[in-house]
Amino acid sequence: MIALKALSKNPFKSLLIFSSITIAVMAIFLISSVSQGVIGMYSKMIKTDGDIIITQKGISDTFFSNVDISLLEKIDKLEHVTSSYAMIVGASPIGHIPIAGIYGTTANHFSHYKLSSGKYPKEGEVILGANLAKQFATVGVNIGNKRFRISGVYSSDIGFEEGGVVMNIEDAGVLFNRSASFILVSSDSPNKIDNIVKKISGMDSAIEVKTTKNFVKEYNQFKIIENSSFVISTLAFAMGLMGIASVMSMIVNSRKEEFGIMRALGKSRFFIIKNLFFETLIMSLSAYLFALVLSLGILAMLPHIEMLQGYVNGTLSLSTALYVLASTLFMALLGSLIPAWIASKTDPILLINQGCA
Amino acid sequence: MIKASNISHFYGAEQVLYNLSFEIKEGGFVFLSGESGSGKSTLLSILSTLLKPSSGELLIDEVSIDKIKNIDSFRQNRIGFVFQFHYLINYLSVYENIALAALEEKKQNINKILEELGILEFSSRYPNEISGGQRQRVAVARALVNEPKIIFADEPTGSLDSKNSTIVYELLREAVKNGTTVVVASHDMQIESYATQIIRLKDGQIL
Repeated sequence: MIALKALSKNPFKSLLIFSSITIAVMAIFLISSVSQGVIGMYSKMIKTDGDIIITQKGISDTFFSNVDISLLEKIDKLEHVTSSYAMIVGASPIGHIPIAGIYGTTANHFSHYKLSSGKYPKEGEVILGANLAKQFATVGVNIGNKRFRISGVYSSDIGFEEGGVVMNIEDAGVLFNRSASFILVSSDSPNKIDNIVKKISGMDSAIEVKTTKNFVKEYNQFKIIENSSFVISTLAFAMGLMGIASVMSMIVNSRKEEFGIMRALGKSRFFIIKNLFFETLIMSLSAYLFALVLSLGILAMLPHIEMLQGYVNGTLSLSTALYVLASTLFMALLGSLIPAWIASKTDPILLINQGCA
Repeated sequence: MIKASNISHFYGAEQVLYNLSFEIKEGGFVFLSGESGSGKSTLLSILSTLLKPSSGELLIDEVSIDKIKNIDSFRQNRIGFVFQFHYLINYLSVYENIALAALEEKKQNINKILEELGILEFSSRYPNEISGGQRQRVAVARALVNEPKIIFADEPTGSLDSKNSTIVYELLREAVKNGTTVVVASHDMQIESYATQIIRLKDGQIL
């Protein structure tokens, strides 16, 4: 009751704390969500389309990988292999767009891209992702130094694919001067996957064969994104939390006179700490929930912002949300209760006089 | 009722009270007089348990203050305060300010006291919505609500005009009539006419 009164009768201070906590929590949410989202999109693309991935040995990024596409023929003959396809991933200016993803794939993988209009591409043709298609009203686009006819438009559940272009792997091979970036293999028998990995590894000494699960776990680019985002979000988190703690500390220090009066009236230290605890709890929880709703709103909007071409996507995991909640409450309480505890041990008249100073 | 023995106090290296010893009898109207800087506010803070003296012993009803385990509860049950600047809590209404200080069983007295002090109609207002004189009457009401054995008042009329000052002194005299001991620190000599005991201070020593 007193906690609510104190918050409502000091709207400026309350707003200051509320805004500080909201901004700090949102920064944490958005930074970690966007990096989780990027990793999530790419790993989903790989995991859902195959059980095994084949890349060039010793290559840190699939962008630089070159795998002999003729392996497909041998792989398809292996027992328990249900399908396989090859893909080239690259990036290039497309028309007036400075950079966009280009996915060259074998025809058996076209069905992954759901056509919303037109037909799948033949030689010299491309289909455009739904986001990219909004940028082109023409019948053709220039990619590299070659013009391609637009044969259709596709949509995809994976955000950054919607901002790209899909073409035949042969055309992509000419553009990027390679056979295939990677090959994905599906099996009908999860128990036999390790055996298939061994067999494929024996086919070519220049390749590296992994289950897609292991690949996602070990992929350098994911590690770089994860590590960078961890550092950035940890710094944002630390700064945000320090901000929360220092704002709470300043607010508590500015209320020394009030605590002194309460002590003079015979209110116990516990009474003061308890009320401040509830004030902080109400403020932190409401700011956290507000930040959560705003962040979810922004994350939901990101894939629809044309300028971002679907490349920036966010996934907010429950564990991140809970971790941020626990940390926010801990730091807010730490920032308010420690100075309150110190103040509560001071002689009441000194608190009153300090408050007046 | 109150026995002070060799009370001294320092703020940092500066000594403000020098070995003060005196007694205050129950039911008296005690006037701590002295000029600004004489140490009367510090002494009042020590007598009212709001400040620990640097040295010396303070007994209230023959119990040493140092031996009281729950000083907060002791204050709430036995002591009332009136400060110069009223020190009401700005986010609580008049009623709530008094209720904050009131013991559970005394809360039923709040409206009666407000009525006696002529401020019942302001009970739902906030401190910044009433005049200085009214605020000081609220502070007196807050000090009276638990029917304490002792009321300490530090310059209770320092920010009031003469009309409101008289009202506050009359309220304190009324409390004395009801058996409460009142100790007032002030440089306002008007209070001398109410006092049954005067302790004059100069430079931290009793004259």
